[in-house]
Amino acid sequence: MSAPRVTALRYLWTHHRWGMIGFGAALMLALLFAVRLTVFTIYWADPAHRNQPIAGWMTPGYIARSYDVDAAVIRAALPITPSARSTLAEIAERSSIPLPVLLTHIEDAIRAAAAP
Amino acid sequence: MTETVLALVPSYGLLLVALGTFFSCLALPVPSSLIMLSAGGFAAAGDLVLWQVGATALIGAIAGDQMGYLIGRYAAQHLRGRGLSARRAALMARAEAKLHENAAMAVFFSRWLVSPLGPYVNFAGGAARIDWRGFTRAGAAGEVVWVTLYVGLGAAFADDIVALADMLGNASGLIAAGVVAGALALWLRAALRHRSIA
Repeated sequence: MSAPRVTALRYLWTHHRWGMIGFGAALMLALLFAVRLTVFTIYWADPAHRNQPIAGWMTPGYIARSYDVDAAVIRAALPITPSARSTLAEIAERSSIPLPVLLTHIEDAIRAAAAP
Repeated sequence: MTETVLALVPSYGLLLVALGTFFSCLALPVPSSLIMLSAGGFAAAGDLVLWQVGATALIGAIAGDQMGYLIGRYAAQHLRGRGLSARRAALMARAEAKLHENAAMAVFFSRWLVSPLGPYVNFAGGAARIDWRGFTRAGAAGEVVWVTLYVGLGAAFADDIVALADMLGNASGLIAAGVVAGALALWLRAALRHRSIA
């Protein structure tokens, strides 16, 4: 590194330390986000990873859309008639069925509906 | 964490959307992107109504921007000139002048393209007393882009909300960190040039 450059860096470090620290931190953050973006892009590019399994946060309507089945198929698999926008976790709690059992019910119903 | 937020959206609906965008404009760590994406997704599934999601998100965001501007303005009134060396005060004055020059652009792009910086532009804009009407106009235009982008993507790719949230979160972090690094680099270069003149 040439001498003027060293003195420039030394000057900045003595007089604008927080600017230098901020610059370094921003660069590190940018690098971190770039790595994460690459990793996530590779992960989500795989169609198998994009197939979201049915989960407690989903509503019957969301599942019907996501799995491309008629909403009536999902409704028929539910133990109770849910109020508007109930999630599966709420439905499971209200009908005192364990959530995993309810999820299996719905998976079965979707599979049966999809079978020719 | 993601699933907890996703479960809250159908339960609290539009209220969560409005509060989410409102508080995210005040630099509070609210996952507003995920909330808007999933609200768009639930709208596509028929649990929410798309235009209502968009309108509520927009109202929350614009109200949050106004709040941030006011906070900056009042905070600056109380702090003005306190504890700053002459050198720092000059630097602040230059930053303020710069902000006045490019206020509309800074406000517009920090709503959506560099959204992690949005809240700080609100505070700084209020502190520097940039023209309120211009701030509101550019801010509202930027929020329309932000809300349309996130709610729209959520509705269009309802099945891939989690993937979308991951990618958009990191992409916007990358852009924001890059912009901050670039701005600081320019500032340091200006400081060096200032030295050679002095």
